[in-house]
Formats: sequence, structure tokens, C-alpha cells
Amino acid sequence: MAARLAEEWFTICGGCEVTILDIGEPLLDLLEKVQIVHMPVLMDHKLFGQTGEKTEMEIPEAEVGLISGGIRTEEHKLLAQEMRRKCKTLIALGSCACYGGIPALANLYSTEELLTKVYRESVTTDKNGFPHEDVPALTDRVYAISEVVKVDVMLPGCPTTPEMVAGALTALLEGRPFTLSTKSVCDECPTIREKKASSTLRRRLEGPEFTPGAPLNQMRCLMEQGFLCNGPATRSGCGGSDGTPRCIRAYMPCEGCFGPISEKANPMVDMMGALSTIGLDPKQIPDRAATFNRFSGAGRLRPAVKR
Amino acid sequence: MSSAGEQDFEPVILALACNWCSYAGADLAGISRCQYPANVRIIRVMCSGMVHPNLVIDALTKGADGVVICGCHPGDCHYQEGNLKAERRAEAITLMLQDFGIEEERFKLAWVSASEGPQFAKLMTEFTEQIKRLGPSPYRS
Repeated sequence: MAARLAEEWFTICGGCEVTILDIGEPLLDLLEKVQIVHMPVLMDHKLFGQTGEKTEMEIPEAEVGLISGGIRTEEHKLLAQEMRRKCKTLIALGSCACYGGIPALANLYSTEELLTKVYRESVTTDKNGFPHEDVPALTDRVYAISEVVKVDVMLPGCPTTPEMVAGALTALLEGRPFTLSTKSVCDECPTIREKKASSTLRRRLEGPEFTPGAPLNQMRCLMEQGFLCNGPATRSGCGGSDGTPRCIRAYMPCEGCFGPISEKANPMVDMMGALSTIGLDPKQIPDRAATFNRFSGAGRLRPAVKR
Repeated sequence: MSSAGEQDFEPVILALACNWCSYAGADLAGISRCQYPANVRIIRVMCSGMVHPNLVIDALTKGADGVVICGCHPGDCHYQEGNLKAERRAEAITLMLQDFGIEEERFKLAWVSASEGPQFAKLMTEFTEQIKRLGPSPYRS
């Protein structure tokens, strides 16, 4: 019998759903083993019954549940709880679901400040009231799924990688455990490190020095070249079986989309330590909290303390 | 802050002292019977340059009221330039304290050589007084 699969999306761009499609040919084998019972992006399955006859949101029972996106509204919260009740295994798909992702940068401001900015203070907006009819209330901040319900498997990344989604689903269907890497991006990065910066901090558009066509292990570490790279505080795994991190492959510094290496880590402290250690000036970092928690704001970013 | 509160408050102060200079300096302070407050808990580290900012931030957010890192004077480092690394990191730590809502004065980097026992005692006395004036860390409940 095919395993039933339910998918729900919250505060998300939809990129992680595209990643599922991106699995390519192995997806055909995978689809034979699963039966999709609920997936708003793909099929018309209504939460309140097909004719709206039910009074509470309902998701069908499933063996595997996928949630992409973080929790921003009360509706998301209820749906996440419903998913947890109905799914035997719950997977957080993508960094938004795992750590809040880009939308969690909003956690730097209170909900009140956000609404005022968007509906009243933005220069291109006519001053207006806050929407309140027929829309779910906003939560006080963006939450990661694991902050609201228990999550069994985390698949970070912005977007996550097709290889990892396929790997995790296959492992679950075959009853094998799936674990994430506990190494940092630097551990898998092939570039040359000399533990000392060769330049002061540089803007990304200046472009790193490298010989086009030469293998990456002949390029100097991007951080040591002066480009802010989140590698030291970011979980590895984005490179898949190739091993080389995705951004490095494109001669770009790591953005940090795979999130912190452990649940309790504070990427900002790790990064400030790493860059000051090699001799870069920590004072030059613009907006350090947001820069180093770009994908992991849920539970880590909070409005500035007013003193 | 009331003067009564100041007297009652006994801060927890963490001193991370390098093995080669500052810990020996602390040792000398003890041998020389120099008096300094018992609020200071000394942890010996091999070099001030091995103290990651994480350790300082963790200490200050998990119960310590003040942290002081002691290393060899610049140029005297047993590992050539570990203390210079500590100096660069101290800058990052000071910046981050703002983000965590902790007063900058709760953290200090100081140079203490193996022969500076009395100076070590004086440093600890002054730092303890400073922390007492600041009161408990905002993270202590």
C-alpha cells in the first residue's frame, strides 16, 4: 500500500515545493510509493470539507506530513497542530519551517510596529486601518514549526535541496533514520585557509579573486579575502553528494541558509568570533543580528531592547 | 540603586586567566597574601586567545555578573600573538553585549604578567567594585 502524504504551506514563497519537483527522475519512483492526500499547492482539497460543511479545519490522516514555511498567523498554528495530530511523521521542509527563514527577520520588530509601517507609514500607502475582517490574527512573532509542535525531521535550506528531500522521504518510506550533518559549511569547503584575512572587509560586488576554470581548492577562502561568509556558523549538507557547498561552487560566500549547526547555537556570536579571529573589523558589520541570523530568526531575533 | 542593595549584592565574577602569565600572576597574588574579593572565580585557560566570544556571552547570559579575560602583555604571549587575537575578539564581544542588553562594563580584557601579583589583586578588587555598583546582571532572575 502506498504511504499517504500530506503537505501544508504557511509563510513561504513556494520555493521548497518547487524543490520537490526538482527531484527530477527519482521523483517518478518516489511518487509510486506515496499517495498525496492533501497539498494546497497541487490539489483542491478544502480544509472545511469540499462544500465548506465542516466547522473545524481538517486534514486527512497520513503517514508522512510535510510543512513548509514558518508560523505567522493563528491559522498556521491551528493547522500545524492538526498536521501533528494526523501525521505519523512530521517533516519541516526548508529553513522557514525549521528556523523561521527570511520572514522571521520581521522578529526584529514588534507586530504593532510592522502593521504601522505597512498600513500607515509607508510613503506609497494610503493611511489605512489594520485588516481584521476575514483574516486570521497575526501571532506575536514568526515561529519555527518545532517551537509549536514536535517535528521529527528537519530539512533546512533556502530552498532545501532535491537530493535531501528525496533522501529523507526514501529513508522514511524504507524505515531508516534520517539525520542531518553536524559539520559546518567550512568543514566541507575546499578553499585554501591561512587563518588570517588578506584584506579588510569588502563589498560583495567587488568579486573575489580566483582563476576561472581552476578547481576550487586553488581559491583562497572567501572570508579571508574579506567577503562576509556565513560558512563557520552554518550547517553543511547543501552540497549533497558532491560535498562542495552550493554558494562556494558559484564563487559566492555562504549565505547561511542551512541554519545553525546545533539547535542551541547562536550564529551571531559564532560569526563575530570567527571574523574577529582572522582579523576582520567587527565594527564594520552592518546590522549584525540580522546578517548572521538571516535564516534562523525564529527564537533568535527579537525587537531591540529600548533603554 | 540603593546603598543597602549594593552591600547585599555579591556578584559572580568569572576570570579567565592564561596559563603562562595571568594565572601565574594570580598564583603570586595568593603566595604574596594579597587580599582580593572572593567573588572572583578563576578558570585557567592555556591562552587568552583561546577564549571564544561564545564563552563570555554564555557566562554573562547564564548567571555571571561580570567576566574578565586576563592575558600576557602584548609581545609576551607564549604563543606569539594569542593575546592579540583576544584583543580583536574583545572588540566583537563588546559590540555584542549591546545586542544582548548587557552593560559593556561587565566585560573586561586585562594584561597581567606572572610578576604582577599585587596588580592582579588590585584589578580584581576594582572590577568587583565596578560590578557591585552595576548591580546584578539583567539575565539573573
